[in-house]
Amino acid sequence: MWNATNALRADEGLDELEAGQLAEELEFATPQEVLAWALDRWGGNAAISTSFQAEGMALLDMAWRIDPKVRVFTVDTGRLPQETYEVIETVRARYGMTIEVFFPDAAQVETMVRHHGPDLFRKSVQARLRCCNVRKVEPIRRALSGLDAWITGLRRDQWASRANIRKVEIDHDHGGLAKVSPLADWTAPEVEDYNRDHDVPRHPLYDRGYTSIGCIPCTRATAAGEDPRAGRWWWETNAPKECGIHCPVETGGFEHEMDAIVHLGAVGPAAAARER
Amino acid sequence: MSPSAPDTADITWDLVRKRNFVERLKHEKGGLAVIADLPAMIATGYEAVPEEDFVRLQWHGLYHDKPKLGYFMLRVKLPGGVLTPQKLRAIGDISARYGRGHGELTTRQNVQLHWLAMQELPEVLAALAAAGLTTAGACGDNVRNITGCPLSGLAEDELFDVRGVVAEAAEFFLAHREYSDLPRKHKITIAACPHQCNAPEIHCIALLGVLRDGRPGFAVKVGGGLSTWPRLADDLGVWVPREAALPVLRAIVDVWREDLRYRLSRTRARLKFMVHDVGAADFRSRVEARLGRRLDDLEAGAAPAPPAVEFDHVGLHRQRQAGLWWSGFPVFLGLMDADAMRGVADLAESCGGEIRLTRRQNFILAGIPEERVDDVVRGAAALGFPLAAHPLRGASIACTGDPFCNFTVAETKGKLQEIVEHLERAFGDAVAGLRLNLDGCPHACAHHWIGDIGLQGTTLRERGPAGERLHGYDLFLRGGLGRGAAIGRPVLRRVPGTEVHRVIESLVRAWLAGRAEDEPIQAFFTRHADDALLAMAQSAAVSASIPSLVDSGIDSGIAGAAPERG
Repeated sequence: MWNATNALRADEGLDELEAGQLAEELEFATPQEVLAWALDRWGGNAAISTSFQAEGMALLDMAWRIDPKVRVFTVDTGRLPQETYEVIETVRARYGMTIEVFFPDAAQVETMVRHHGPDLFRKSVQARLRCCNVRKVEPIRRALSGLDAWITGLRRDQWASRANIRKVEIDHDHGGLAKVSPLADWTAPEVEDYNRDHDVPRHPLYDRGYTSIGCIPCTRATAAGEDPRAGRWWWETNAPKECGIHCPVETGGFEHEMDAIVHLGAVGPAAAARER
Repeated sequence: MSPSAPDTADITWDLVRKRNFVERLKHEKGGLAVIADLPAMIATGYEAVPEEDFVRLQWHGLYHDKPKLGYFMLRVKLPGGVLTPQKLRAIGDISARYGRGHGELTTRQNVQLHWLAMQELPEVLAALAAAGLTTAGACGDNVRNITGCPLSGLAEDELFDVRGVVAEAAEFFLAHREYSDLPRKHKITIAACPHQCNAPEIHCIALLGVLRDGRPGFAVKVGGGLSTWPRLADDLGVWVPREAALPVLRAIVDVWREDLRYRLSRTRARLKFMVHDVGAADFRSRVEARLGRRLDDLEAGAAPAPPAVEFDHVGLHRQRQAGLWWSGFPVFLGLMDADAMRGVADLAESCGGEIRLTRRQNFILAGIPEERVDDVVRGAAALGFPLAAHPLRGASIACTGDPFCNFTVAETKGKLQEIVEHLERAFGDAVAGLRLNLDGCPHACAHHWIGDIGLQGTTLRERGPAGERLHGYDLFLRGGLGRGAAIGRPVLRRVPGTEVHRVIESLVRAWLAGRAEDEPIQAFFTRHADDALLAMAQSAAVSASIPSLVDSGIDSGIAGAAPERG
């Protein structure tokens, strides 16, 4: 039975009215100001989520300068490139940080691989979404379950449908914790400049033509002039025009595609196409 | 800490385009212009079309349905909610042929269709154009559908007919391309309805009819809006004669769209932020400077009095024109499929009548000759729109939600149905005046901030047995429009979807038991502290006596009285 104690457990977090107000007040704050505010408000109940790409590294560096004890988590999907582990080691040495690494649930991976094979993501969009869900999204959910706020490297110009994300919002896809995106209005060159100026460790795969770095079987280098989005899941046809693990309600996102393609599949456009 | 925007003098278009991705996108190719590329997009195939062009298609009322695989929601603009039988039939035909029969009425007097395939969009748009309909400017950074009282020209108590002003403004803002490159969406409402049925409090600009010495004109409100930063509109304190309405609307939109401060960030771009920043008095001065003349003051006491509570035109009433009647029919959940659209069109045509849409997702049949009234009411009931339905069905609204909308995080229309059916069984006529507003996400298409009880979808911290997401709802109380207009507060958080109907029942029961005589639910919630409301929400295992929801039928007979004329 629902009761107010459970429902209000996280109300030291934000409600919708306060989140809207804060987003308005912080809209023209710098990333460091937003970070400082978030770390001051939530302290150890906030954590940076990073996959050690440029945005996450910039955030990590900024936050470390504000509070060296800042919490940072990442997901080891089990299919990461060796270079990512090298970056983790570099970060550990350079910043003296404990990176909280979350792994997929072993039983879920075992079941999935037993039934569908290790490379199921090549077989269909549904299968790939399942793989993402087990290896990446579920561990993130576990990481978030203990937090009041998570801090992401989302930028508005990464994807056309992300243009409206707010620097502070309630993440209704994950139980209503706060989601903070200090880099929301930065451009990619601003992130690069920051990282260069502060000598922030750089993922080695960028120098080999990668524009987006995730699991190694699902990521590749792109040629100059090629759409950077071609570096992910390039073999897929009929895949949704949306990507990644960040799914603020403003953009739709992974959870929504999962709901539609995997859970509601019977009524989705795939079914519509079949009816025709 | 609240750093403010850079000084206006320091903001250049280059800075705007650096900071704001959509401004860059619009600069590269305007939203309306994308339509010329549609044949090429189709020839290239969905896979190869960049996401940016799908954003541009919003300018033509097209949004990806979920998942984003090349199927679209389409929003048809209907200024003032005015339709003809021919137009509604055309929409119904398109729905049947291209859109799997789906259709819904919206809170801004639009009609939406779903699951239109990209390759068929040219045919769909051509069919709409042939019927005199457009989707241009229905989404994107445009003057959206201009809403108004659906009874304009028909109601006995309307101050004057505003249809000309609505049509003129709609035409003007669509025809002039600079108004298709606004900082953000822009919502205008125009009415001379004494009940203010058009929700002037929550619009960017509202023109409210005021007669001065018998001369038609408008009071003006600016800066309202909901979404994630709800704000009630301010009075501008002016009176504008009817013939000056369009120049004043233009001047208001111009001072906003030309101020680059409101282009730096899309999350702080709507007119409400500017009115908030500069204040109503200063905003008025800017509008006057843009116009090059002073506006007339609206004398104290001359402003139109807001209604006691939010109002919607339902039921059967005498029309201004002798011998004719109009009837507002409740549309449960705002759903009207292709067959229903064509049926309503036939019904209206059979009596020489016309069709209007209300902002609570209901429709009005007007121009019904007195001797045909009974036929028409029977005909509408046969189409699934019984006039005698419980009033909750017409007064409660939910946004589009699953399975169509990419933004929603919880079930909307289906959940509203469950809640309404539960309350009908539990309380019958006692909840006849209640308004439920249910949204699936913070965008607030169904205005959860100002419902008697507002619901916004969220997810629970806990997971289901198979690890699935569990839907929940935040409950917003104390909001409303009219005399006590106020933004609601999210008093109850993360109520599980499986229990929300019972929690609402508890709140309603507490109100019915504890209210002062005729005390509206908003006032009751307002005079109780959060803790008291939480206690009420949890009081008693209220539902033991409520029969299962599964067997609750549509015709529960609760409101069973025959429609009254008057």
